[in-house]
Amino acid sequence: MAAIECRALRKDYRRGDEVIHTLMDVDLSIDAGGFVALMGPSGSGKTTLLNLLAGIDRPTAGSIAVDGTEITRLGRGALAAWRSGTVGYVFQLYNLVPVLTAYENVELPLLLHPLTRAERHRRVSEALELVGLAARHSHLPRQLSGGQEQRVAIARAIVTRPRLLLADEPTGDLDRESAAQVMDLLARLNRELGQTIVMVTHDPATALRALRTVHLEKGSIVDATVRAEAAP
Amino acid sequence: MSTLLRTVPYVWRNLVRRPLRTGLTVAGIAVATFLFSFVESMRDGVRRATEAGASETTLVVYRQNRFCPFASQLPQSYASTIARIPGVRSAVPIKIVVNNCRASLDVVTFRGVPEEGFIEGKMRTVRMVEGSLDAWKSRGDAALVGAALAERRRLRPGDRFTAAGVSTWIAGIFESPDVQDRNVAYVHLPFLQESAQRGGTGGIVTQFNVEVEDHASLEPVAAAIDAAFASDQFPTTTRPESAFVARAARDVLAIVGFASVVGWASLAAVFALIANAIALAVRDRVRDHAILQTLGFTGGTLAWTVMLEATMLGLSGGAIGAAGAYGVLRAAGINFTMEGVSIEVTSGTAVAVAAIGIAALLGAVAGAAPAWGAARREIVQGLRAG
Repeated sequence: MAAIECRALRKDYRRGDEVIHTLMDVDLSIDAGGFVALMGPSGSGKTTLLNLLAGIDRPTAGSIAVDGTEITRLGRGALAAWRSGTVGYVFQLYNLVPVLTAYENVELPLLLHPLTRAERHRRVSEALELVGLAARHSHLPRQLSGGQEQRVAIARAIVTRPRLLLADEPTGDLDRESAAQVMDLLARLNRELGQTIVMVTHDPATALRALRTVHLEKGSIVDATVRAEAAP
Repeated sequence: MSTLLRTVPYVWRNLVRRPLRTGLTVAGIAVATFLFSFVESMRDGVRRATEAGASETTLVVYRQNRFCPFASQLPQSYASTIARIPGVRSAVPIKIVVNNCRASLDVVTFRGVPEEGFIEGKMRTVRMVEGSLDAWKSRGDAALVGAALAERRRLRPGDRFTAAGVSTWIAGIFESPDVQDRNVAYVHLPFLQESAQRGGTGGIVTQFNVEVEDHASLEPVAAAIDAAFASDQFPTTTRPESAFVARAARDVLAIVGFASVVGWASLAAVFALIANAIALAVRDRVRDHAILQTLGFTGGTLAWTVMLEATMLGLSGGAIGAAGAYGVLRAAGINFTMEGVSIEVTSGTAVAVAAIGIAALLGAVAGAAPAWGAARREIVQGLRAG
């Protein structure tokens, strides 16, 4: 069963009198447990598509169903609740809250869930353990390296156990070694926990870590590659 | 509701981990709340001293058209005439000597009272905290000093105390619910008349304090007293004690009226400080808020965090300012005395609680507009900011 079904997805922006067509009639299906890389040149609509899948932006037309939920029909409040329970989002620039420690950043999304303090503690500890940063739980973002910050961001994204993990150029701001660590982590989440992942990337080598690569150009899907096995 | 409560630590960390911004804002709010509390305490003191309560039963008989204890001279013999007027329970002649007739923060007021009437009347309403009434009765130059005056002048039983040419020996210190008592020294009437006799005022008193049967008798008895002496050489003006204080304190009332403007301006400053701090905080955190919304925070939850932060700023600054004013007023023991009557500026918990509550409320109101803006901003716009 497809985890994500996009049909005739369109997104237009208006700049003065000019209408910019960022996405044009995109159809896309992603199976549960899939690992998809979205590639394409700047302005091709990769991040816009990712934002629409995350429910943080609204399409001009078309539909998006995630696990059978038609998210384009949800109101603001319902969409926020849906994001909280379904989506984990990893940003290129980590976007940790600067005044919170690694632990508190990872705990943030759990504040929206009816969990006891002890349960929150258990989940945050597990997530930090998974990304290999349990020992850095009390560090503020400025006390961490870029790679460590991104791993904390991944812990924050997975701590609610979302069905869908979306990553916008997760290695775009990292050195080679840190990027490899982050990609190893995402691949492990997909392989061992069956996490559905959609990732935007510019880097062909990073895209090879996914099972499927979708190329966009000028707002349309132009090519898709499916691999039986991801690159190590 | 529980979601909102779970976000409280997040808001708290935002405040304490930005110590410079929070410290400066809280300090500003504290200063403004201090001013507001101080002015309100002053207004409260004036109100308590000048507004008649339903239980008021005291009249003050003063010389007509005289406004200072030096000028109000009445024959002591009036006491027996006043005592015969229907509705009068007692009439105590009082000689008042002050070291300064104008408004001042350190006026010493001597009240000369007859021993018998004083013990039967006034001493039933006061509580001796040091020394004794027997010591006062045993010496002609003895004085019983109100607690506020004793504290201000650092007086203890056994001390000698001289002011306005009157030299007394401190027999005791008493606490009284009446502000007029707390700031005076009660001495024997003959002693004070003798001390003031250099001007030939023996047998002359400043005023009579008249106790009436009940509150309803105040006006008719006052009219009867003034009528009894209307054609005398020394005509009188008789008023309820609160009205007498209000007339004597008219200058202070005008100042307090002006000071209330300062109080309201202080509240406006609290509002402006919080509004400015929160508006800047929300502007700086556009991206943070977009991240929170991406994580699933609703606009309502986001607005709550902003308003809670503003309320916490108001609450903490208000608490510091109100506590500061409370402490300063308690330590300083400020009394305005004019024409022999006192107005006490005291630190009251009601004023402190009101000041804290208003500061917190202003915080919530000041945070409302930025909270609304944060809640309505599109996530994608927010992520592009900064």
